[in-house]
Amino acid sequence: MQSYRLLLLPFFILVVSFTILYPNFADRTLKVVVREDVYSLPEAEQKTLVSGLFDRWEKDYGKSSGWTIEPKGTLPPKENPFYTVKGRFITSAKINQISQENQGLVNESKNKLEPTWIENMIRGGKSLSIKLGLDLQGGMRVVLKGDFEDYTSKLRDLYAKEIAELNLTLNNQAAKPEEKEKAKNRLSEIESSFDLSPMRKIVELEKAKMIIDNRLTTQNLTEPQVRIQKEQDAIEVSLPGVSNSAAILEILQNTETVEYRLEEPNPFTFKSQIAENERRMMDLGQREKTDIYLFQELVKNKAGKKAQDEFLAELERKYNIPKDYKVYAMWARGNSAKSTLLPRSFVVLERKIALSGNDMTNAQPSYNSNSYGWMVSFTLTPNGAEKFFDLTSENRGRNLAIVWGDKVISNPVINDPIAGGRAEISGSFSEQEAIRLANVISEGALPIPLSVLEMRFIGPTLGIESIEVGVKAVAIGFFLVMVYMIFYYRLGGFIADLSLLVNIIILAALLTLMDFTLTLPGIAGIILTAGMAVDANVIIYERIREEIEEGRALSIAVTRGFENAFWTIMDANVTTLIAGILMIRLGNGPIKGFAITLCWGIVTTLFTSLFLSRLFMELSVNRMGIHHLNLRPFFFGKKEGNHA
Amino acid sequence: MRNINFTKYKYFTLSFSFLAIVFGFVVTFSKYGGFAHSLDFNGGLRTVVELPKDKTRTDIETYFQSKQIEAVVILLEKEKNIYQLDIGLGSLPTIEALYKEIPEDKRESSTSAIDRFVQLLRFEFNLPKEKVLSADQVGAVVGGELTEVGITLLLTTLAIILLYLSIRSQFKFALASAIALVHDILMTLALIGFLQIKPSVPIIAALLTLLGYSINDKIVVFDRIRENAHGKDNLALSNIINVSIAQTLGRTINTSFTTMISVVAIIVGGAAELYDFAFVLLFGVIVGTYSSIYIAAPISEIYDQLRKKKFA
Repeated sequence: MQSYRLLLLPFFILVVSFTILYPNFADRTLKVVVREDVYSLPEAEQKTLVSGLFDRWEKDYGKSSGWTIEPKGTLPPKENPFYTVKGRFITSAKINQISQENQGLVNESKNKLEPTWIENMIRGGKSLSIKLGLDLQGGMRVVLKGDFEDYTSKLRDLYAKEIAELNLTLNNQAAKPEEKEKAKNRLSEIESSFDLSPMRKIVELEKAKMIIDNRLTTQNLTEPQVRIQKEQDAIEVSLPGVSNSAAILEILQNTETVEYRLEEPNPFTFKSQIAENERRMMDLGQREKTDIYLFQELVKNKAGKKAQDEFLAELERKYNIPKDYKVYAMWARGNSAKSTLLPRSFVVLERKIALSGNDMTNAQPSYNSNSYGWMVSFTLTPNGAEKFFDLTSENRGRNLAIVWGDKVISNPVINDPIAGGRAEISGSFSEQEAIRLANVISEGALPIPLSVLEMRFIGPTLGIESIEVGVKAVAIGFFLVMVYMIFYYRLGGFIADLSLLVNIIILAALLTLMDFTLTLPGIAGIILTAGMAVDANVIIYERIREEIEEGRALSIAVTRGFENAFWTIMDANVTTLIAGILMIRLGNGPIKGFAITLCWGIVTTLFTSLFLSRLFMELSVNRMGIHHLNLRPFFFGKKEGNHA
Repeated sequence: MRNINFTKYKYFTLSFSFLAIVFGFVVTFSKYGGFAHSLDFNGGLRTVVELPKDKTRTDIETYFQSKQIEAVVILLEKEKNIYQLDIGLGSLPTIEALYKEIPEDKRESSTSAIDRFVQLLRFEFNLPKEKVLSADQVGAVVGGELTEVGITLLLTTLAIILLYLSIRSQFKFALASAIALVHDILMTLALIGFLQIKPSVPIIAALLTLLGYSINDKIVVFDRIRENAHGKDNLALSNIINVSIAQTLGRTINTSFTTMISVVAIIVGGAAELYDFAFVLLFGVIVGTYSSIYIAAPISEIYDQLRKKKFA
């Protein structure tokens, strides 16, 4: 171990750790985005909103925090509609606090904490600051349950046509036996995909989790945690700092898909049947009894998706719609662009999905100046482009409906085959809707519909008072321990303190890199780590002192001290590590948080106490010419301290 | 080396511990009918309210105390005087009774406990509706399955420690460590029950921490015993134990002391909600240190004697 070059390793690790931890302490820039509709408000209202923000700002951040906000006291210009906040220790809770207190002014979901250069470099812009758990800063927890029944029914739609064809082959007397065999195999293959094993469910939940993750990142929500709860087929989302945000929930739950379905062939037998009936009712002056009116009422009363589905299924029975077709409502606005989007008529589409959202990517909303409306253009995947071309060449003259969620938003006629992999959707969209549709296409749809199983506002386990006092107390405790170590073991104590500091820094960097969310039990794990790290050094020094007392030369005493202590430290830490790993595997919530910090703490402790401390000790004894090593407290005098 | 006869009092210390544990649990279950209830474990009512500026934490606490409602008051935001009030399920009958005392014209009829509590709060503190920021009837965060998971966890951990230590040293040391660990947990639980400390996330954290600390402590002492016993079969184990404990005493005192410094800093610092955490931890450190010396070591000796008798 007696080499200066070894010093490079801890030095390197320290530099890396500091780099990783830098964003926690650096000056950061936060963009607080102003809601668009604020600009169209009367000036007096704008003023109240702005002064509301700044009165509160003065109170909280004006004096001592060192945060600056630009532009001060006024609304930012419309072309750059955001306030720029600069300062240190900008936490998610603070960001949310600002947003939630100024809901009329701030567009919470668009706030953005600019990544520091380090985050850009290492993480491609992903945050590197230490995250605090719900128990430390409070927040919202939502548990979303996967609706697998709905999922399988959708799957059946996707395979509807193939199943019909396969059944045809099977019943066809003329078909060859091997063809029949093949069809039979394929059928059972498809059937088995409707059967959801727990494994399959997990896979689908994983997909859903990924999409939720995506949605949350693009929304720039603060430090969301998304977890799968296997036992309940559910996904748990924790949003620290957020206390009540209906908008977020809507984004999370949005199971809307985008898909293309062909409309029944011209002359629209079923559609006209329905339309005729409706007209007759209207003529009789019974508008209130028409199906479309009843359906609109359902929508207006927010009866929910299930009621709407049942209503449409009832229509299918009423008009004897064959199994290959499905009734949808065509949604549109009334005469003015400001009127609400409502079902206006019924259309009958093929049950089979012609092109699903998975075939589309990269959607962009744009304003169509020709039609004075918003539209969404998108790219098709190579596979999708091929499908789209085939579809449009085979079905010229037919209507191709675009279904968004369960709304048909347009059903243009296919005039020519479309090649090239780009397409657009125009409907009667508002800007918001165009953006939403574009998001649905770009991010992909949730594979399974999710319903809210539980939503809970969680207050922090500790109040701010306790956190402030607690942090201070722990810091003072640490300081006292370090002073005591120097007092008791002198140079050894100093080295122990040094390695303790390095230990905590490396541990913090490790946890940050792993995106660990710090909870109260996690802090307890760190405190235990510190205790065990000090203990390791104490064990070593006691051993070295024993060697010195037995009259060994200093350099030998140091080496033997470390060697004698090695297995004790190993045994103690390995046993604790095993217990920790068990806790991670078996435990939940608080136990897990504790165990993760403990386990990584053991790894760093082994490194700092067995390698780093030894390196420092041997260097000071062998190279820096220290001949007297006194490992006794100051008031014990100089009883030992042999020559090297 | 100084020679202190640590094992001399083994029967006394073992019976002391045994009696203390039994006493703690008997009091817990006979006098209090079990461990204290808490929101984290049993669920309850949770409200977040913005109090008028002239009301302080003490005002609310005194109110709840005077009405004998068990409540945990947490300050969420200083500027706006926002508090979170957690009410355990045990206080529901009290709230029920107090709700009925509200004059008829000041209360709306309501059946849910949380509604009644909110009305009570609004009446007592004269709060307008919008100052009650949130009110939920919440379920347990850590309770329920935690007890089950906790026991599985403890048993598995003990089994692994037994195995690892048996391989690394000898079965008698492994067994003694495991028993001493159980002793520490039981002692602390007895204290928690005796003092009716509310089980919570911080308490779980404290229990886990003391478990880790205790494992560490026992292994350090036993490693020394094993080292000293190496190749000295003829020497009485009690001698070796006494010498080993004396040799590690400096380390034991130093480590316990430094750990206690941090813990005491939290207690003295006065973070109200961390008090229980630190208190349990402090007790745990003392018990852990005590049991390494006065429980674990003697048990290994007793086990050794029993075996020798059997094979003699």
